[in-house]
Amino acid sequence: MKNLRMIGCSHRDAAVDVRQLLAFNAQQTAEALGTWQSRFPDAELALLSTCNRVELYAVGPTEPEVLVEALLDHRQVSSKQVEGHLVSLTDAEVVRHLYRVTASLESMVVGEPQILAQVKQAYQSAQEVGTTGPLLHDLFQSALRTARRVASETALHKHRVSIPSIAIADLASCVFETFNDKHVLVIGAGEMADETLRYLRDAGEPQIHVINRDAERGQKLAQRWAGQYHEWSELWDQLAQADLAISTTAATEPVVTATTFDERVTPHRHQRPLVVLDLAVPRDFEPEVSEALGVYLYSLDDLAQACKNNQTARAAELPRAEKIVTQETARFAAEVHHRATAPVIAGLRQELERPKKAELERLFCKLPHLGEPERQEIEQFADRLVNKMLHPPMESLRDASQNGTPHGLLDALRRLFHLED
Amino acid sequence: MDTGINIFCFSASYAIALALELSGLWAPFRLRRPALLFAAFAGLVAHTWYLAYRVAETPAAPLASQQDWYLLAAWAVAIVYFSLKFYYPRSSMGLFLLPTVLGLVGASLLTTTEPLATFQAPRIWGQVHGVFLMLGTVVVLLGFLAGLMYLIQSYRLKRKLLTDSRFQLPSLEWLERANSRSLGAATLLVGGGFFTGILSRLATEGDQNFVPWTDPVVMSLAAMLLWLVVAEVFRLVYPAARQGRKVAYLTVAAFIFLMLVLAAVTLRDSLHQKTDKRAVASPPTVEVRNEKPPHDRL
Repeated sequence: MKNLRMIGCSHRDAAVDVRQLLAFNAQQTAEALGTWQSRFPDAELALLSTCNRVELYAVGPTEPEVLVEALLDHRQVSSKQVEGHLVSLTDAEVVRHLYRVTASLESMVVGEPQILAQVKQAYQSAQEVGTTGPLLHDLFQSALRTARRVASETALHKHRVSIPSIAIADLASCVFETFNDKHVLVIGAGEMADETLRYLRDAGEPQIHVINRDAERGQKLAQRWAGQYHEWSELWDQLAQADLAISTTAATEPVVTATTFDERVTPHRHQRPLVVLDLAVPRDFEPEVSEALGVYLYSLDDLAQACKNNQTARAAELPRAEKIVTQETARFAAEVHHRATAPVIAGLRQELERPKKAELERLFCKLPHLGEPERQEIEQFADRLVNKMLHPPMESLRDASQNGTPHGLLDALRRLFHLED
Repeated sequence: MDTGINIFCFSASYAIALALELSGLWAPFRLRRPALLFAAFAGLVAHTWYLAYRVAETPAAPLASQQDWYLLAAWAVAIVYFSLKFYYPRSSMGLFLLPTVLGLVGASLLTTTEPLATFQAPRIWGQVHGVFLMLGTVVVLLGFLAGLMYLIQSYRLKRKLLTDSRFQLPSLEWLERANSRSLGAATLLVGGGFFTGILSRLATEGDQNFVPWTDPVVMSLAAMLLWLVVAEVFRLVYPAARQGRKVAYLTVAAFIFLMLVLAAVTLRDSLHQKTDKRAVASPPTVEVRNEKPPHDRL
C-alpha cells in the first residue's frame, strides 16, 4: 500500500499534558506541513490535531522514526518527554484507524459529531499547503464517506450524552414545541448554565433572564446571551413567569423550597407547564417542588441517568459501526491494490492496440473500395474484439486484488505479453 | 361491491400499519417506516376508492347509511394520521390513531346499511346535519386522543421516563394546542349538527315535523352539546382550564359523551329510520347492494 503511515498520540495513550506538548493550532499546522514538505518532497502528508489527538499521516518512502523526529523537532519536544505515548501504524492499520477516528469511534465521547469537521479541516489544510496526493486524497475522502455511512446506518449519533444537550433536546423539547419567545430563567451564573444556554440558542430564540447574587457575573452572563439581568429579590416573580428555569447556584441549601414555591409561585402560574433543570450540586430546588401541577423538575442526577442510558444505547450500536468500518477498509485496500495493476492493464491494452491498428491499415489497403460506413463498422468490430479479449484478464486482476496486490498474476501477464516495466 | 375492494382490504392495510407501529416499540427494523407509510397509503387509497364507488353507486353516499357515516369518519381520521406521519415522522401517534380508525371501521360493521331517512326532510338539511356530526365526531375523537397523549406525556415527564426513543409523542405544548382547538371546533360542529338536525326534523313533511326531545339520540346529543358549551365557557373563564391537564380532562369527558351518542345512534335510532309507509312500500331511492342484514332493533 505504498508505505502508508501514521504516527501520533491520542487520549488513549497519552495524558493531556503530553498531548498539549504536541498540539498544533491551524497556523502551526500549515507551517509544519510546509516545513516537512521541503524535508520530504516525495511524501504525501496531513496533520490532524485536536484536543484529544495529534496524528501525522504520511504516504511515501519515509520511515516512522524519521517522521517522529520531524514531529518532535517541530514542537521542540524531546523523545524522552513522549516516550511510550506515541503510536505508529502502517498500511491497512492506518486506514482502519482513520476511519474509526472520523466515525467518532475513537473519540473520548463515542459518537460526538465534531471530529468529522476536524478531519475535514485537517485534509483541507494539507490541500492548501499542497502536501496531499492521490492516495491521501482517496484515504480522507473514503474516511468521510465511512463516517457518513456510520451516521446514517446506525443510531450512534442519535443518543446525546452531554447533560446540557439532553436537558434541551431530549427533555425541554418534550414540553415545548418551540423555544422562540419562551421565558427562560437562569438562576446562578455557573458554567453549566452557560453551556445549556448555548444549546438553547441553537434550538431557538428564547427570552433569557438571569438572576444571580453576584450582580457582576450575572450581568456578564446576561450580556453574553443578549438576556436581561434581574436582582435576586425578583426570583419569585420571575419563577412565576418562567417557562424554563435553569438553576446552577453554588448555594449549600436549597434556594427554592416547596413551601415557598407553593405560596409565592403556584397561585400565579395557573398550572402552566414549567420545566426546571436543577443543575446545581447540592440541589437548588427541593424535590417536593415537582409535586406542583405542571412542574417538571429534573436534577443533575436525573439527567446523568439519562446520559448513562444514552451511553449504553450508543454502545449497542458499536458492532454495526465496526462492521461498516471493516467493510470500508477492505474496499479501500482492494481499490489500492487494483490501482497497482493499472500500468499492466495499460500496457496490455497498448500491446493489443498496436497489432489491431496494423491489421486494420493492411485490410483497408487491400480493400480500397470500402466506403466510410463499412470502414467504421470494421473498426468498431476490432475495438470490440480487443475489449472482449481484455475483459477476462482484467476481471481476474480485479478479483485477485481483493486479497492484496496480485504480483504473481502481474508478472505472468508481463512475461506472456512481453510488457515493459 | 364488485370493484374487488371491500372493507376487509383497507382494514387489513390499516392493521398491518398498526402492527408495524407496534413493532417499533420492541424490534424496530430499517425499512419499518417506508413499509408503514406504504401500508397506510394503500389502506387510504383502498378506503377512498371504496367510498368513491359508494358515491358513484348511491347518490346520497357517503352519508347514505350509518355504515357509510362511520366509514367516512374513519377515512377522515386515517387522513389525519397519514398527514401527521410526515409532520411528526418519529412519533408514536399511530398507536393511538390507527386503533381509532380500525374501531370506527369495526363499528361500521355493527351498524345498519339501511338508507338514512333523510329523503323525508329537505335533502340539504339532512346532508349538512350528517356532515356536521361526522366532523364533530372526528374532532372529538382527535381531541380525546390528544388529551390522552397529553396525560401520558405529562406522566412520563413527571416520572422521568423519557429516554426511550422508541415511544415518542409530540410536545405538551402541541398537544395542549390540539386539545384546546378541538374543544372549540367540536362545540361549533356538534352545535351545527344538532341545530340542523332540529331544522331538518321541523322541515319534514307530514306528521313527523316535531322534535322528539325524549328520544335517546336527541337526549344524548343535547347532553353532549351542553357539556361542550359548558366546557368551552369554563375554559374561557377559568385561566387554569386553558392549559395543562385540565383541557385534556375536558376532552376526555367529551369523548365519554360522544360514546353515549354513538351507542344511542347505533342501538336505539328511531329518528333516522323510514317510518313513512309510502317509503317502505316503494323501492328505496338509494340502492344498497350490501347483503348484510339490518341490525336488530332493541
